[in-house]
Amino acid sequence: MKTYEDLAGDGGSNIVGQVVSKLEKLRSRLDGIKHKVALMSGKGGVGKSSLTANIASCLADRGHRVGILDADLNGPSIGQLLGVGNDHKLVLDDDGIEPGIGVQGIKIMSMDMLLSQPDSPVMWTEEPGATAVWVSTMESTALRELLSDTKWGDLDFLLIDMPPGSDRIDNIRELVPELAGVVEITIPSPLSQHIVSKSITKNRQMGVPVIGLVENMATYVCPHCDQEAKLFEGKDAKDLSQNKGIPFIGKVPFDTRLSRKTGSGGLFYTEHRDSITGQAIAQVVDAIQNFIANNPKS
Amino acid sequence: MKFLCVPCDVQMETQTDGIMPEENKNLAMKFKCKNCGHTIAMLTNKFETEFVSKLGVQMGGSSAEVQAPLSVVSSSLAQAKEELSKANPEDNLVWTEEALDRIKKVPFFVRNMARKTVINFAIEKGVTLIDGKLMDEVREKVGM
Repeated sequence: MKTYEDLAGDGGSNIVGQVVSKLEKLRSRLDGIKHKVALMSGKGGVGKSSLTANIASCLADRGHRVGILDADLNGPSIGQLLGVGNDHKLVLDDDGIEPGIGVQGIKIMSMDMLLSQPDSPVMWTEEPGATAVWVSTMESTALRELLSDTKWGDLDFLLIDMPPGSDRIDNIRELVPELAGVVEITIPSPLSQHIVSKSITKNRQMGVPVIGLVENMATYVCPHCDQEAKLFEGKDAKDLSQNKGIPFIGKVPFDTRLSRKTGSGGLFYTEHRDSITGQAIAQVVDAIQNFIANNPKS
Repeated sequence: MKFLCVPCDVQMETQTDGIMPEENKNLAMKFKCKNCGHTIAMLTNKFETEFVSKLGVQMGGSSAEVQAPLSVVSSSLAQAKEELSKANPEDNLVWTEEALDRIKKVPFFVRNMARKTVINFAIEKGVTLIDGKLMDEVREKVGM
């Protein structure tokens, strides 16, 4: 009787071939992108998306070609900031889907662009009995498709706006093994720092390079007089970065202007480069670029 | 996983027209020996099916289906834009809402096979409307 090895194929599905083909397609798509950086936090509500959008704005302002993958599949928001909302017209062909082109030419792919209505939730089945395993599997598959089927073209930076929590980084680690690193974002509150410390620990244990820690909403900037004041009580996030042995790469004030478009439809950074908040964002971008320059493998 | 017809000592082939459009998450596939024609069914439970689904591949699927952009998102996202749904290879058959709902409940990695089974059946029968009744007939014909 024949053995497993004697049988050349798998009866018609060509599972191995399909897996190889998917990986090749992903590699081919990502090869045109020089640096991939994930921005994450164990905690939700720390301003990841607003910060990501403005970091992208700063990079674009410096002449780089930038794209953003909104990996927050269930809470997509960054497209709105970039001017690519739910009403974006999709352009697909056999090769893939065109990304949305946001302000400053920043390319964006987000689940929000794929849904029929602005208030449509991301649901993979409307069957109430769907298990968490099934939904998780669908999300992992969707993330791979958004990465590999978007026509990113040649980019200098792809920023990956991660969802709250630290579980999705496992997918990114697998899909983008050449990830330059992650930027961890916290706010001053002890609760946030407690959770972000877990995220940092996990990344270090899993061998994911941590570019550094950003303290968002570190202070409050008055939009009228541009003066800073303390917003949260809590330990200095620098202590957390020292305890974890990672660089502290910036304190970004809480600034209500950061999370909305400017009057001319642009992002905060381009019109407020010299503000306290604008300078803080530029400092974070400096740190990201320095990290990449000093880690040539990335 | 491979299947061998023991009497013939020949590998059994996946029957791409034999997948049942199962409206739950259990995978049911047919394999046939090209030598003697003997057919078997592989039945898996929900957890085994979910494990297979992690590969993100199409059982019995061609490479062309796998290469279609956003194939899983477009065929699985419950409230997707219309232009995204049109990215799927489709024919001119008209699907009722009920039929579409039922096909959407087939695990994504066998959904194309299930869809093809239904389409082939409709073409053979000379009908252009795919509704719940037709899908019931497919199930009866497939016999699982």
